[in-house]
Amino acid sequence: MKAFLKKEWMEMTRTGRLLLLVIIFAIFGIMNPAIAKLTPWMMEMLEDSIAQSGLQIGEVTVNAMTSWTQFYKNAPMTLIVIVLMSSGVLTNEYQRGTLVQVVTKGLSRKKIMLSKMIVTYGSWTALYLIYFGITYGYTAYFWGGDEVPHLMFGVFAYWLFGMVMLALLLAFSAVASTGGQVLMGTGGVAAVLFFANYVPKLQKYLPLQLMNGLQTAAGAMEVKDFYAAMIIAGVVIAGCGMISMAAFDRKRL
Amino acid sequence: MTNVLEISGLKKSFGEKKVLQGVDLTVPEKKVFGFVGRNGAGKTTTMKVTLGLLAADAGEVSVCGETVHYGNTKTNRFIGYLPDVPEYYSFMTAMEYLNFCGEITGLPSGEIKGRCEEMLRLVGLAGEKHRIKGFSRGMKQRLGIAQALLGRPKLLICDEPTSALDPLGRKEILDVLVAAKEETTILFSTHVLSDVEHICDEMALLNDGRIVMQGSIEDVKSKRRSNSVEIQMERAEDAQMLAGTFGGFQVVKPEVLLLKDAAKVSDVLRFMADHEMPFVRMEKQEATLEDVFMEVLKNGSLAENQKEGKQ
Repeated sequence: MKAFLKKEWMEMTRTGRLLLLVIIFAIFGIMNPAIAKLTPWMMEMLEDSIAQSGLQIGEVTVNAMTSWTQFYKNAPMTLIVIVLMSSGVLTNEYQRGTLVQVVTKGLSRKKIMLSKMIVTYGSWTALYLIYFGITYGYTAYFWGGDEVPHLMFGVFAYWLFGMVMLALLLAFSAVASTGGQVLMGTGGVAAVLFFANYVPKLQKYLPLQLMNGLQTAAGAMEVKDFYAAMIIAGVVIAGCGMISMAAFDRKRL
Repeated sequence: MTNVLEISGLKKSFGEKKVLQGVDLTVPEKKVFGFVGRNGAGKTTTMKVTLGLLAADAGEVSVCGETVHYGNTKTNRFIGYLPDVPEYYSFMTAMEYLNFCGEITGLPSGEIKGRCEEMLRLVGLAGEKHRIKGFSRGMKQRLGIAQALLGRPKLLICDEPTSALDPLGRKEILDVLVAAKEETTILFSTHVLSDVEHICDEMALLNDGRIVMQGSIEDVKSKRRSNSVEIQMERAEDAQMLAGTFGGFQVVKPEVLLLKDAAKVSDVLRFMADHEMPFVRMEKQEATLEDVFMEVLKNGSLAENQKEGKQ
């Protein structure tokens, strides 16, 4: 399995995928504090034209919360990027037929699937850490004194939501034959979740709840409001893992 | 002698299409086994079932005595496989790819490097430093054999290894296969009969999802060996006279006759000597595999006859 992971790493670095992802996540990470920092300046620039339209702008205050608000606004983008980039994690190999030799060499399918899981979850975790780390660094530098309640908890919850989406993506990858089908499946489940989220009673159980880290920081939600969704997320990840393993064992390559 | 591969009663349909309708096949150890059939006869399907890449509808396949299961099958550790169009991780070099194969196939780590170099030398890719992305078809095919042989498999399965290659490339592949014969049993599918005649010890002919003929190349040929003798006379009128005197002659050209029944040869010779008829040549007709192939395909019932003959 080490050999297969090494191959995955080689593929990510040599095809430039890793570099691209790191750059994208780093840009998103820098944007959060940068936008917060630049907001007053932009307002000042626009003050005259806004004043002409009859609006008055009061003092614009920015702080660490502004930066973290941006963090949660951009986080869905990072998740979309990782989902798009991972949609071919297995299907690309089905379509090219490259796994045939690997399987007929006697590498167990479970090990292949496990490697793909490690790579997918690992990429998300590492890239999310970059995204978070950069935002955290700059925010601490600019507004170091500001206290953001339950920051780490909210950030962790969002990471967990990403893991749920990727678990679904992997399960679809074990069944589907093209990247498009994987995206449709994963996107379809996401759409169902968003519709289900309109039912107030369901909200606290849906993994979407995990995206509300900002609410805990703002004091609108409590940490315990997340527990149900977290347990369900764990169940979904484990369930998808088992489905992926079983389905991939029977997958026609 | 043990059988490396045993297939019995193998059936497989794709939707309405019945591709395999009860294939029985045994491949003995240390042989080069030619698996012959037309395009679409079911050769690749049979091989894929053997590799656990396709699920069989009925029947059993065992490799080195162990049953093959669809999906994750342990029997693959005995097998080296060269697909018809091998696909690689194109971002690797040949050496890196073989290294990767060596590691996943479970070669002892101290041995991998040497074994990879040995294989690259065998297939003539030793000096190749470029990534696989830029390889020609022939190079990919040769790398395919290298990766298939790397783990010293008991059974090497090659799916039409020569079909897409030019004559030189084909010869290279055949040479490599002959060299590999020392180490392993080879099952290779093809529709090129001259390849089979060149390198195979045994063969089976697959037609309409059934094995219609199986045996050593000599056996197969002798079963179909015609008893005909072709005689070319110097003068056409002598030929006419012969044909008039003896029954069972077929006139191929005015001066060329085909004698269907070889038992009459001595009578014919005596007659020719008595009448001082000069002839150019006289030869027994050898059946080529192609003749056999054609005849079997034309005559589907032959398989049944043979089966009865055996019992």
